[in-house]
Amino acid sequence: MTAEIIDPTQHFHASSAVTPTDAARPETLAGLRIGLLGNTKRNADSILDAIGSRLADRHTEVALIPRTKTQFAMPLPVELVEELIRDCDVVVIGVGDCGSCSASAVADAITLENVGLPTAVICTDAFVQPSSAMAGLKGAPDFPYLLTAHPIANLTAEGIEERGEQLATQVEARLVGSARAVAAA
Amino acid sequence: MSEHIAVTLDPDVATGVAEEIYGRGWTDGLPALPATEESVQRFLATTQRAEDEVAAHHPQLERHVTVRDVAVSAVMAGCLPEYFPVVLAAWDALSAERAALGGGWQSTSGPGPLIIVNGPIRHQLGINSEGGVLGPGFRANATIPRAIGLTVRNGFGIRPRELEQATVGTVGRWQLCIGENEEASPWEPLSEEAGVEPGVSAVAATLVRTFEVVDNRSFTSAEEVLADFVDTIQRSGALIGRHSPTGILLNPAHAQLFAGAGMSKQDVREWIVARAGRTEAELQAVGKGLSHLPGGPFAADHRHPTLADAKPATLPIIVAGTSNAAMSMVFRVLGLWSGRSFPVR
Repeated sequence: MTAEIIDPTQHFHASSAVTPTDAARPETLAGLRIGLLGNTKRNADSILDAIGSRLADRHTEVALIPRTKTQFAMPLPVELVEELIRDCDVVVIGVGDCGSCSASAVADAITLENVGLPTAVICTDAFVQPSSAMAGLKGAPDFPYLLTAHPIANLTAEGIEERGEQLATQVEARLVGSARAVAAA
Repeated sequence: MSEHIAVTLDPDVATGVAEEIYGRGWTDGLPALPATEESVQRFLATTQRAEDEVAAHHPQLERHVTVRDVAVSAVMAGCLPEYFPVVLAAWDALSAERAALGGGWQSTSGPGPLIIVNGPIRHQLGINSEGGVLGPGFRANATIPRAIGLTVRNGFGIRPRELEQATVGTVGRWQLCIGENEEASPWEPLSEEAGVEPGVSAVAATLVRTFEVVDNRSFTSAEEVLADFVDTIQRSGALIGRHSPTGILLNPAHAQLFAGAGMSKQDVREWIVARAGRTEAELQAVGKGLSHLPGGPFAADHRHPTLADAKPATLPIIVAGTSNAAMSMVFRVLGLWSGRSFPVR
């Protein structure tokens, strides 16, 4: 007697997503509204603020728009996506520093790119695996995300400023599209 | 003398099937059975639910699994067909857990779902609720949670070191299914506390990070044992926020001691919740001060309760095991138990 063995993974292999594309990039951040989308993880807001203030120092008439995703592992609520589309020109997302929130941050970035918002998403370097796994699952295995050294939860105020300084240049490069994959750095 | 087995098994074929399943990456490290249309249909025949009904979903990955997908996992895990309604009820229960929906399966905590079965189905399926309740040695207890794990792996596609980021993981992950020892409990079972009618078989579940034993077998009073629980529960190790959600697998001997002292289950809960806590100074000494949280900064002698309140969902108490020695288990919950129990249907 023979029988076919059922592939238990067949469903998610079959449901391939539409390949996402990056949003069109602005030439400069000058005059733009920069969304800072925190995920409630410890020090995430502080790092985003530090990045934002560096970008505001470097460009004229930048508006910083802080927003919060309250459930760090869940997809962005539709209302928040609509709010970001309405209120921001580009969005910095972070910080993915855990198993679920890193993947979720990358998924959020891909969601926003698909609706036309340029993003720069930051994860910590301990979570390359889920970040890349999520990018692949969304049909964009080479999607660029920025990495910063893990951990961030225990950084001092001085350490946060240093991170902001280091990340601001990479964030800007990603947002204006002059660098394709900073993640490999 | 054992009966002669009249079928011939080709060991090369059996090994080949096992290796094929390993090779495809479909199993958790132990051999798994092949799911075939015939075996899956036998499982589907045990439930009224349609095979294409959604049994569980994963918001972050935007994936769902159907009743049929869960049946495939249950076959592979080694369940008997009659276990299948319990596996589905376990998914009902896990689908009410915010931690499971919100990234718990990928968590660095590497939690294991603890599945708690109440009612007559424990006896019908041979679900152990007595000695060695945390296993191993009992097929239903071992394979029902494994079916959940294989669904997470194959149905949601969440695998270790990919989307799943367990730091070390939890001892017993995908192995935690117990019956409540209702027969040895002086109190109403967990399912009734959760609002299910008496005598109805039901399943509750939550995500567990770790277990710690409370071995208190030479007690002379209820207060001693209660204080031992408080001492274990208020330990700071599992604390990652303001509170450390906790549950108790309560030894029948401890339950009977408390009931003999005139205490209800809720009395026990309130006694413990009122006393378990640490001061800000004690938490700061281990690097876990809470002064950065709303309401802070806190004075050194400010007392932080370990548990937010004395609701059953905040401190579930399940009577389980046997009283050959009075050992209970304290367990840590990832997130918070929903407080709900789901009838087996």
